[in-house]
Amino acid sequence: MMKGVLMAKNKEKFADPPNFTEKRDYRPKDVKETGLSYVGHEISEDRTVMNQFLHYDQLYTIRHGWNSKFFIGLLEGKIMGTRCPKCGDSWVPVRTHCWNLNCNLQKTEWIEMPLTAKVHTWTIAGWSGRSSLKRLPIILVYAQIGTSKVAMANELHGINPWDVEFGMPLKIVFKPKEQRVGVVTDFHFEPVDFWKPSPMTEEKQRIKDLVTPVYEWVKTLK
Amino acid sequence: MSRKVCIIGGATTPFDYGATGFESIEGGAAECVRETQQDVPEFSLRDLDLMIYSHFSVHFGHQLAPEWVIHDHLGLVGLPHYRVENGGNTGGSALYAAALAIMSGHHDVVGIVGWETMDSVSQSQGSEFIAMASDIRYELMVGGIYPIYYAAMANKWMKDNKVTEEDVARIAVKNKNNAMDNPKAQWYRNDHRYITVDDVMKSRLISYPIKKLDCCLMSRGVAFLLVCSEEYAKKVNPDNYVTVDGIGLSSCTIRAGDRLNNPGWSERYGPGYPGMTEFAACRNSAEQAYKMAAIKDPLKDIDFGEIHDAFSTSEAQIYKALGLADENTIAKFIRDERTSMQGDIPMNPGGGLLGYGHPVGATGIMSAVECYYQLAGMIPKKHLSKKTEVPDAECGIVNSHAGTGTSISNFIFRRH
Repeated sequence: MMKGVLMAKNKEKFADPPNFTEKRDYRPKDVKETGLSYVGHEISEDRTVMNQFLHYDQLYTIRHGWNSKFFIGLLEGKIMGTRCPKCGDSWVPVRTHCWNLNCNLQKTEWIEMPLTAKVHTWTIAGWSGRSSLKRLPIILVYAQIGTSKVAMANELHGINPWDVEFGMPLKIVFKPKEQRVGVVTDFHFEPVDFWKPSPMTEEKQRIKDLVTPVYEWVKTLK
Repeated sequence: MSRKVCIIGGATTPFDYGATGFESIEGGAAECVRETQQDVPEFSLRDLDLMIYSHFSVHFGHQLAPEWVIHDHLGLVGLPHYRVENGGNTGGSALYAAALAIMSGHHDVVGIVGWETMDSVSQSQGSEFIAMASDIRYELMVGGIYPIYYAAMANKWMKDNKVTEEDVARIAVKNKNNAMDNPKAQWYRNDHRYITVDDVMKSRLISYPIKKLDCCLMSRGVAFLLVCSEEYAKKVNPDNYVTVDGIGLSSCTIRAGDRLNNPGWSERYGPGYPGMTEFAACRNSAEQAYKMAAIKDPLKDIDFGEIHDAFSTSEAQIYKALGLADENTIAKFIRDERTSMQGDIPMNPGGGLLGYGHPVGATGIMSAVECYYQLAGMIPKKHLSKKTEVPDAECGIVNSHAGTGTSISNFIFRRH
């Protein structure tokens, strides 16, 4: 008993635990978290094969830990990146330790990036996951933000899908503060103010022909 | 010197979406083993001394450690077993693990069972499950599905290499039409039609430049492969075994955007490579496999391949990463149909992912099984005709591929 008390006193802590004083229940109203349940079945007409339906609603906690400053930055309308103090490489999405093996997992420092970027590559999505269908067609670009060595994926708004170009200069636009939730969709890219689309080409026309039915299809979605 | 690795048999269930006739996974696995035993009557389940299970996502089956259900059902209690998971390269990684087990001398007869049940949720839910292999913090909500990431990579690659939409459409046509000679292929079983480049060009936009017919299929399916020492191969299947002469496994970033300026690749291949367009892990793992198998010129030394055509565009990118063509020759290489059944290096005679199907954990195993059939002269028995047989094939390549090119393996098989 005595020994146990002594050990508790000497317990080493790696860091003070963070305090989360404000507790809120974010479960959407239809998420019951009732646990696993078989909710029904179907049987083939010849009664040889059965399908059973298992339902499970769940809410995950994504703990951002050392990456948190990036996501907190989004709430504040900032793009936070990191930089290696040894080699000077910088990144968005962030790395908390340097990728250069010579830097031997050097811890990086936080820097605020300018709200400008450049298109590295792009695509026009005419199909997506269930949560994105109504926003189709979506222009997705990989763009390098500020001094970042890597490209980050996000949507490009404010132009016709067929007008997007490799290397085009972009600005970062945040949603109004009250709509931000600390995820990457709090911001999107838009062309810089001085950018003008180039004249119609054969490829642009091809893209226009491909996306026209997508616009029509989205109108039919409830 | 490590021991030779051999393959003496294997089989798959029909690949499908919905009912296959092998409705339970463990039942499907048992049928794959039974088919293998019909081909190799001397093989007994008692000879196995290790089982490796190849399965991607427990989200689909909603069963943790589902390999335990299969292993138990096969009556293999007491035998060591574990599961390998490595995204779309799960099958290739399981084969890599089996090869290491044989090479080490610790195991003699290793069975691999691979499977996926992607029809347990809706198609759009299934797409989102797979997309959870992207970085969910940064990419899940802005792309939503893998074809979008692949399209962004392919769009720039095609521009850089002067490859057109029509060029890659030829690859989709080739693989889906090859699948029409394969009764286990999902394209044969469901859509069941020959297609043209025009059909691909007119199919629905998924993500520019990828259309619906440029995409592989979501599938349910099981596959089995029997890997062993040469001593055992000579004992049970002396006339019909192949040797695994080269193995390679390599890795790349989870987010494709992190490939720009990556010091790990700059060190190996110089600055600017792979960018967001080239599959560096494919090149790297192919180089390992080529070196081990003494392949000097892949185009001359390799007769055919079963490669990871999740999209027609990625098959084209893989040709280049395998060293079959370079920036200046790749467009002509595709237009000359060098990889068709009539070409000098047919690719995906079995139909590939575009035609056979892509039940993730089973896919790489299916590719290895098809490659084995070609080299063992079993195509006339397994396919509907000799149309998809590579005549006098001596050497084949198997390629398995994950993420946005995040993990890739390559294997060189030779006829014994």
